Amino acid sequence: MSEHRDEHLDLCAGYALGSLDAADRQRLEAHLAEGCPECERALADFSGATVVLAASAPQAQPSPALRARVLAAVHGEGGAREGAAPVRGRVIEMRPRRQTVGFAWVWAAAAAALTIATAVSWNAASRLREELASTRGKLVQAQRELDEERRWAAVLNAPDARVTELSMTPAGVAALRARATYDPRTRSAVLSFENVTAPSGKDYQLWALQGAGVASLGLIKADASGRAVLRLENVGDPQTLAGFAVSLEPAGGSPNPAAPTGPVVMAGKFGA
Amino acid sequence: MQAGDEKALAELYDRYTPLVYPVALRILRSPADAEDVVQQAWLQVWKGAAGYDSRRGTVAAWLLTVARTRALDRYRSVASRRRAEEKVDPEPATPPEDPTASATQRQMSDRVRRAMQGLTPQQRQALEIAYFEGLSQSEVAARMQAPLGTVKSWTRQGLTRLRELLPEEEWV
Repeated sequence: MSEHRDEHLDLCAGYALGSLDAADRQRLEAHLAEGCPECERALADFSGATVVLAASAPQAQPSPALRARVLAAVHGEGGAREGAAPVRGRVIEMRPRRQTVGFAWVWAAAAAALTIATAVSWNAASRLREELASTRGKLVQAQRELDEERRWAAVLNAPDARVTELSMTPAGVAALRARATYDPRTRSAVLSFENVTAPSGKDYQLWALQGAGVASLGLIKADASGRAVLRLENVGDPQTLAGFAVSLEPAGGSPNPAAPTGPVVMAGKFGA
Repeated sequence: MQAGDEKALAELYDRYTPLVYPVALRILRSPADAEDVVQQAWLQVWKGAAGYDSRRGTVAAWLLTVARTRALDRYRSVASRRRAEEKVDPEPATPPEDPTASATQRQMSDRVRRAMQGLTPQQRQALEIAYFEGLSQSEVAARMQAPLGTVKSWTRQGLTRLRELLPEEEWV
């Protein structure tokens, strides 16, 4: 792990200018590969300054024929990408986008890609187009996940939500804990459990207490630490839903879909 | 290729060639060679062969990188051919200003020149020979008879100063 040092900024300047000696370039690339936001920022800044330096070249226009030649040559290529030569030399080798996690990056990248697309009408260069498409895809995915989170957060924060802590029955195990929040308006519920790791060959099953009867809401599958969060829709009619219960059943759940066959280990009623 | 794509390329060409071509010409000193290089660079970009990373810089910086690399490659091969033929020309004079440049271009070009004048002579020289002659920092140090560390400082200070004198937001 190479920690960011001031010396790296010297290297970033040389890198943007395309004038680093090989050993320095390798050193900086190794450092960048570990992810360094300060250096990435510096590179973008120095690269902007390099454009100013480039613009100091005496102004000159190529012959008008060049424009026609370039357009014709590209037309002849039909945008083909096969067999294209990679950039050589010791100037900035643009690096492939690294795998990055986190929403912040997705938003930033999307903003950057969209800005560029707008600025240069870059409909055609396939590389950018792909990047844009993939960024948009990630953005849509992130938005979906966010919407989903918001939806369930709304259940938890609903003003008229009904909440109950499920408490142990005499058949229960002391460590079991559960809390249920039910939003009557959307008929959705969020239930969180702790220590619901079922004994071998058994499953915990969740039930809605509906008036005089019960309805199965499915099995509770805990993660490795024994936690589980269930987000359930169509949990039951607000007029009749009284609370929830958990039973310990044979693996796969109660053989009787309409009622628990094993011991009820936890139960909780709203307002109880 | 679709009509829309051609239009997009034409727009890109018109927008960035005024930036890219002078760099190729400054490096190669020959309009014919510079035009060849610019054409190759556009083809390479179009084929998507040169990766673009938006975090590392603008589209302009990217296009310049592609064109400069090709121009320096061409320059080195021409130079080695010349050396083989033992006909080393003295460095040709800088081409004169283009009289057909638009008012906006000329105004921008004035601002760039003023920004360059805001550097110390050493900073300016270190940047120019590295960029336009393609010398590595140790080669620049040998040429300027200065320690490598000093060249690195000049490079960083020079680019930092340029950025301050002409921030990207103010580019026309």
